[in-house]
Amino acid sequence: MGIMRMGYAHVRVTDMTEAKNHYASTLGLYETLEDTSPEGNKRVFYKGWDEWDHHSVVLEEGGVGVVKYGWKVEHEADIDAIEKKAQTFGLTVERMSSGENPEVGDGIRFTTTSDHVFEVYHSQTSIGTEVGTHNPDPFPRHLVGVGVPALDHSLITCEDPKLMEKLLMEVFGFYATERVQTSLDADHDLVGTWLTSNNQIHQLAVIGGPQGKLHHFAFRLDDWSQVGHAADIFTMDDVSVDVTPTRHGITRGQTTYFFDPSGNRNEVFAGGYLAYPDRPTNVWTVDQLGQGIFYHARELNERFTTVLT
Amino acid sequence: MTTIIVQPSGTEIHVEPGDTVLSGLQKAGYAYTVGCRRGGCGICKIDVLDGEFSYCRPVAETVITDEERADGTCLSCRAVPGDDLTIQMRDASLRLVNPLLGQLNEKARKRAKAPSTPPEEQ
Ligand code: FES
Repeated sequence: MGIMRMGYAHVRVTDMTEAKNHYASTLGLYETLEDTSPEGNKRVFYKGWDEWDHHSVVLEEGGVGVVKYGWKVEHEADIDAIEKKAQTFGLTVERMSSGENPEVGDGIRFTTTSDHVFEVYHSQTSIGTEVGTHNPDPFPRHLVGVGVPALDHSLITCEDPKLMEKLLMEVFGFYATERVQTSLDADHDLVGTWLTSNNQIHQLAVIGGPQGKLHHFAFRLDDWSQVGHAADIFTMDDVSVDVTPTRHGITRGQTTYFFDPSGNRNEVFAGGYLAYPDRPTNVWTVDQLGQGIFYHARELNERFTTVLT
Repeated sequence: MTTIIVQPSGTEIHVEPGDTVLSGLQKAGYAYTVGCRRGGCGICKIDVLDGEFSYCRPVAETVITDEERADGTCLSCRAVPGDDLTIQMRDASLRLVNPLLGQLNEKARKRAKAPSTPPEEQ
């Protein structure tokens, strides 16, 4: 099937002690490794309780914003197929060796038209989920903080969302579940696009903005009550909350946005509908963008499109 | 005690020791456009016309450039005044959104100023 999911988000943080407090104690991710990058920066690797691979979040000390994303493919041969498609698209692809990222196998690396670094790999050391696979309980008894189970998706910005959508479709085999357009006419401009390769409502979304920027990366929760509970914990832990619990019109998901201690935006996301490649793409016109993003308030706050790292 | 003077209006705001410029202004009932409140997005930049401040946390070079570190640019969510600051907002104007806090701040400012006024001659 090619790309199965966003395997990891690797981001920069300004202060590792504060960042660890946020990602481990407030969000409840499990630390799996601490090391120093080849450039000499402190790094910490995390996984959620319902993820089996070694890590899904990597923090690197020194700055803010996204370093790169890892994408896991189903079959080894998918790497070669994606490499060819990327080259056909006009991208420069380099080979990535096993161990360049701790516990991650061979793969490829390229910089997208949006100036984000993507790595595509097939194997990562399997640790196992917290509840195991043998008669598993539905969740671990002693979750910490929010207890997020897994990384879910990310939203990035770039100058040409249409070109980035084309790349994700042609190279990754993604399809768009939702789009925001300037009009319904054939000559519309694309304002934003939400894409996936499977039933997950979106794995990566792209909106217009500066090149190479991070809007947010999100963790999956089950439902409204968990989103509300997460927001309660954010207030208890003095997390800077961007948007209190609400629904997205786009994707139908339930959400709360917040910032990590370095100012990178995070989200907890629940719900949304099941996506299928044969499903017609939902189209939002830009005049309804407020409702598309914040369904209840029906207007964009001034931070949503301007606050990026 | 620290006073933040906001130009061009000359509004004076009393700030408790250790508070960032942003938290000081917010505690006094004022609001302006901010983003992450964690030093990452750079939306909260203001200009310091006079006075000293320091950053209470590391600030990324991509957020504040070397040039900006020298030209009075102040990342207000991370900057702690060292002494009285005279500031000027950029695109976002400062607005009093909580007049009650504004009144309390004004009283605190007057109280804090009082001891420095020489007692009147009998
Ligand atoms: S509000 Fe984001 S840097 Fe100050």
